[in-house]
Amino acid sequence: MRPVRIPVTTERKRSVRRAKYGYFLAFTVPALAVYVLFAALPLLNSMYYSLFDTDGEVARFVGLDNYHYLFTNPTTSERFWNALVNNLEFFAIHLLVEVPVGLLLAALLTSGRLRRSTGLYRTLLFIPTTLSVVIVGFIWRLIINPLWGLVDYPLLGNENTALPTISLMSVWQYVGIPMIFLYAALLAVPHDVLEAARVEGAGGWTTFWRIKFPLIAPQFGLIAILTYIWTFNGFDLVFALNGSAPGPNYSTDILGTLFYRTFFGSSGQLADLDLGATVASVIFLIILVITGAYFGLLHRRLRSYEL
Amino acid sequence: MRAFRASVALVAAAAVVLTSGCSPSASGGDSGKVVLTLGSWRTEDLAMWQDEILPAFEKTHPNIDVKFTPTNTNEYNAAIQSQVDGGTGPDLITCRPYDVNRSWIKKGYFEKLDGKPMLGAFDQLALDPWAGDDGSPYCLPTAAVLAGFFYNKDIFTELNLKVPTTQDEFLSVLKAVKDNGKYAPLALGSAESWQLAYNGLYSIGPAYWKGEDGRQGLIKGTKKVTDPDFVAAFDAFDAWKPYLPKGSESLKYADMTQLFALGKAAILPDGSWDINQVAVGNLNVGVFGPPAATAGGERYVQEMPDMAIGISAASKHKAEAETFLAWTATPEFLSLYVNKLPGFFSMGKEPVTYTNKLAQEFADLKQGAKLTPRLGLDRLSAGTPPFDDEVWRVLQLMYTKDMSAQDATAELQKGLSAWYGPQQQK
Repeated sequence: MRPVRIPVTTERKRSVRRAKYGYFLAFTVPALAVYVLFAALPLLNSMYYSLFDTDGEVARFVGLDNYHYLFTNPTTSERFWNALVNNLEFFAIHLLVEVPVGLLLAALLTSGRLRRSTGLYRTLLFIPTTLSVVIVGFIWRLIINPLWGLVDYPLLGNENTALPTISLMSVWQYVGIPMIFLYAALLAVPHDVLEAARVEGAGGWTTFWRIKFPLIAPQFGLIAILTYIWTFNGFDLVFALNGSAPGPNYSTDILGTLFYRTFFGSSGQLADLDLGATVASVIFLIILVITGAYFGLLHRRLRSYEL
Repeated sequence: MRAFRASVALVAAAAVVLTSGCSPSASGGDSGKVVLTLGSWRTEDLAMWQDEILPAFEKTHPNIDVKFTPTNTNEYNAAIQSQVDGGTGPDLITCRPYDVNRSWIKKGYFEKLDGKPMLGAFDQLALDPWAGDDGSPYCLPTAAVLAGFFYNKDIFTELNLKVPTTQDEFLSVLKAVKDNGKYAPLALGSAESWQLAYNGLYSIGPAYWKGEDGRQGLIKGTKKVTDPDFVAAFDAFDAWKPYLPKGSESLKYADMTQLFALGKAAILPDGSWDINQVAVGNLNVGVFGPPAATAGGERYVQEMPDMAIGISAASKHKAEAETFLAWTATPEFLSLYVNKLPGFFSMGKEPVTYTNKLAQEFADLKQGAKLTPRLGLDRLSAGTPPFDDEVWRVLQLMYTKDMSAQDATAELQKGLSAWYGPQQQK
């Protein structure tokens, strides 16, 4: 944009504003277009499909019948609630293991105790995140294989241990994400504050919980809600390990695999596009409500300090 | 503003490229050749079709160019449905057997094949899995798969065992291997429940429910899963349980195949499609069929119609598509196809010679045996809960949680009576 000299101030202001909006648009439109085309439109489309019955030769508008069927048919509702409860467990394990371990690793990396090898540890801990889930699933399945692995017990064959086992594999893979996220936040804590604390005689423990943690609390909350979104959108590791009817007895079935099985069908199950769209819409609502509640009620209370 | 306009142009261009990339290439390409597309779920066969089969067809039909366009197995049904509904389906559609195909016929995806001369290459039993409710054929059978047992001949010789022909002999072979302690008697794990059904129950069960008698009985509603014949079949499946390898609850299909291929297990219940994975190195492998229920009893073999090809009702080149389809009924195609894909078997009347030794052994199992497809896929799985999926689940529970044959069959019957008309009247 060439600088334009216009004597009248209001005129000039308007032109500056227009230029500003021009840039604003130029920078947002490409991303927005891709987002609308590949995320928002398909989402709305699938909600639209969930109101139709396409089993016959022509699609028929059925209102909320698909939702009614999903929650009242004994089989589909049982599978849905089972998947929801499993998904909550999947999320809880991530929240209780992955996020705290990520915090611990980030705290250790920024503690100054690892003077020379911080970069090495940071890289090593982050590497699993970059692996394909298929590889992660395959490696872990071999490690815990009762025939040729290290563990005698059929962890994945028992209804009680299968889901925690898969969750922990996923935690192992993705612990680098909260670690790097909180690591960056901890690096931003100003040195003079920490130095003042040290001068006042605060130890490492006190400094961390009284100074560093309150300063990164908003990021901690954010990573918790992101973990929620990621685990409720989870699918790939379970699918890679156990396929689309994840056993034993659907004990590792989560919402993502339930959707996949409903939408695409399985060898004995017809693909039900409408019911699949219904399941997808319900998953979206579950994520939307909790995420909205988090930002509306909780996140604002996590004070961020201006330093 | 120039930047803004440029970025809008870029997005627009990208959108054009993307959408045009998604739409199918228009048929009728260069030099007056007709281009046909053939949809399939077997992505692994791409090279075979392109390099071996289609050239053989195009040599004699220079004016037709067939393109093999497979989709991932798991996504095939949904992909075909959205393509055909959206008007971009292939000219030739590979047909899933039974219920999926029946729903596609109802949606009008296929041309009727009534009275076409190519049907003459197949008998009625082979055409049935792809017939509509009106009994008309809509797809031409391509291949079937068989289920049976691979066994390690060296272990059998070492332990002085004979190939079992009845359930009792089968169990005593398993017991002998277990007592010897050197090898796993049965390479079977329950982590993947589908193969408990397809290679286990559906393979040995027909001897008890008398093949088509029992299967059609369930479909017509004259028999129940809780009938003694079916319970006996589930009991026979349960009798294998003491001979499963260590940690079988979490062993996958690949682990089982591996265990057998490494020479560490005597018997592998499997499908014919696994021939190439099993016969590796210098492993001395043989094949035997499902044991009869009693000595001198009828032998049954599970022959599962796997795929057929139909002509899309929306195709612009139906005459050419029909020419290609007729070619797939010729002995030339059938013997080419099944010999390129050992473990797949022609469903045609004309006998085919198999160059693969194990494939020929499998084909020989059909001699003198009654054939029957997998129990749960025809009609019984077209509602919720699908019978087939429920069978997978209860079989897994029998091996992991000691569910009894009575409870398993009772649960299956409950699931069927919940939605399947013919099973609801009583």
